[in-house]
Amino acid sequence: MDSLQLGSYTFSSRLILGTGKFSNATVMLEAVRASGAQLVTIALRRFNREQAEDDLFGPLSAIEGITLMPNTSGASTAAEAVRAAHIARELSGSPFIKVEIHPNPQHLMPDPIETFEAARILAKEGFLVMPYITADPVLAKRLEEVGCASVMPLGSAIGSGQGVATAAMIEIIIRESGIPVIVDAGLRSPSEAAHAMEMGCGAVLVNSAVAVAGNPPEMAEAFAEAVSAGRKAFRAGLMQKSGSAIATSPLTTFLGTY
Amino acid sequence: MRPLPDWLTDERETAALAAMLSPDSSSSLEALAAESRAITLRRFGRTMTLYAPLYLSNYCSSGCAYCGFASDRKTVRHRLEPDEIRRELAAMKKLGISDILLLTGERTAAADFDYLRKSVEIAAQEMQRVSVEAFPMSVSEYHALADCGCTGITIYQETYNRERYEALHRWGPKKDFIDRLETPARALEGGIKSVGLGVLLGLSDPVEDALSLYRHLRHLGRRYWRAGMSLSFPRMRPQTGGYEPPFPVDDHLLARMIFGFRIALPDTELVLSTRESATYRDGMSGLGITRMSIESRTTVGGYHDTDKKEKGQFEIFDDRTAKEFCAALRKNNIEPVFKNWEPSYNGPSTEGNNATIHSLEAKPCH
Repeated sequence: MDSLQLGSYTFSSRLILGTGKFSNATVMLEAVRASGAQLVTIALRRFNREQAEDDLFGPLSAIEGITLMPNTSGASTAAEAVRAAHIARELSGSPFIKVEIHPNPQHLMPDPIETFEAARILAKEGFLVMPYITADPVLAKRLEEVGCASVMPLGSAIGSGQGVATAAMIEIIIRESGIPVIVDAGLRSPSEAAHAMEMGCGAVLVNSAVAVAGNPPEMAEAFAEAVSAGRKAFRAGLMQKSGSAIATSPLTTFLGTY
Repeated sequence: MRPLPDWLTDERETAALAAMLSPDSSSSLEALAAESRAITLRRFGRTMTLYAPLYLSNYCSSGCAYCGFASDRKTVRHRLEPDEIRRELAAMKKLGISDILLLTGERTAAADFDYLRKSVEIAAQEMQRVSVEAFPMSVSEYHALADCGCTGITIYQETYNRERYEALHRWGPKKDFIDRLETPARALEGGIKSVGLGVLLGLSDPVEDALSLYRHLRHLGRRYWRAGMSLSFPRMRPQTGGYEPPFPVDDHLLARMIFGFRIALPDTELVLSTRESATYRDGMSGLGITRMSIESRTTVGGYHDTDKKEKGQFEIFDDRTAKEFCAALRKNNIEPVFKNWEPSYNGPSTEGNNATIHSLEAKPCH
């Protein structure tokens, strides 16, 4: 079976869903169900143990067949992310941690230096570390070396809907990586998710595109279909794009006939 | 008199925003609203972060002509003692509030730094996120507040027109225009993670003030690249003391400002308080505003003992309960978010240390 392997965990779905930005928890849960996602991320700052109505963790943990991947969104340093990871593991029982460190809360770009440091510490402690990073092939290899379960390069800025603007860098990351590469952030449409999968991504993570759609559950389903179509195409082997046109005056006549 | 900094008057910085705010702008309000709405939805989703203010004290040492708590007003003065603060917090928590803004007047002996620090400490034990709107402090004082769990400082310039500023701030420490202007930078230098800026709309030419506000924010953003930023659009409300604003801002101009700022600053938190009407706030949800206050009281305390008849700093316009307000948000297809912070992220930011720069500096050779 073609499954996604993250640490000792195996998933048949290659669509990971984010749970913020929805108009309410009910719609979010419907979208999660419709997506068929088996791995779902939730920000630790949206765990609310004091007020059930405001809490995203409780209702998500009640869905069967879902593995939760808490994330450290809101942390601006490695130390904060490590603290958050410990709390998240205690509350959720999940070994997964999506390390998300964005020191600038406006553009939310991940800090490569702090992310590397947090990932190194957490991987050593036995977490399944999923770092959210800029599409930097060297950083991706450094994170693989310290034992991350995957790398999650951004397609474009969070909430920008600009698709896989970093495609050229992501191609290098995929080519060189020994761990799954998951495109995270920036995807606006199912066709973009399919494109990322055709490139050879292990999975994609989508949030805004589903959360703010007119009909989030239907959009979640559309993404699921696109992800599985893209994966199938990758496995089947895409036709090569034709290269440059054949020159009318041949370039290799000097070689003589073979 | 210290001169104005160059960044404050750099018109190139605000050319695009100025075009949107101008009364003869070629962009219709409807077109701005549509663009603002699309940006907000993409970046912030269908959510609204909620907070509530708690007035700790109404002692004040300044003579702001427009303020209900100015030191020459005959208002009854008092401050909340630690036990009272705990009672207020408990009452607020019952309403679901977990993100709180603590307020005081300008620095006085009755409500000084130690009092504020202690109050922050108490609030941080109960609440998920604590911000402060009080008197300007020193870098080390801000650092101490961040250490106690304060993550945000709100400090309005009120007006960026120096002449108007000096006329309105009749006496007291707030009279120094440049000192006030430099306060948010000191807060960030001290490790406070986010600053809230704003002008009190009505005091001076609103478009001029809005453009200066934008320049202030961009200046801080470039200098303190980790800083969280939020902007508020408080319009003068009927004040205790009866001040009449000479530059009233109507609903349309305020809307134009909110949309213009959202388009110019797609990632910045924009705040609208209960100074505005229920209709206006409901209409603005989803169009650009991402953070709102609820259940506000502008009296000292007021959550535990709800029958108090004393006068607040100004009159609240949207006096709906949290429940009513959230129902209206949900009807608008927007999720009210009470907790959007994690206390494990508290503590001074590394902004002030400029950690990277220091570590890269050449060490003396031995």
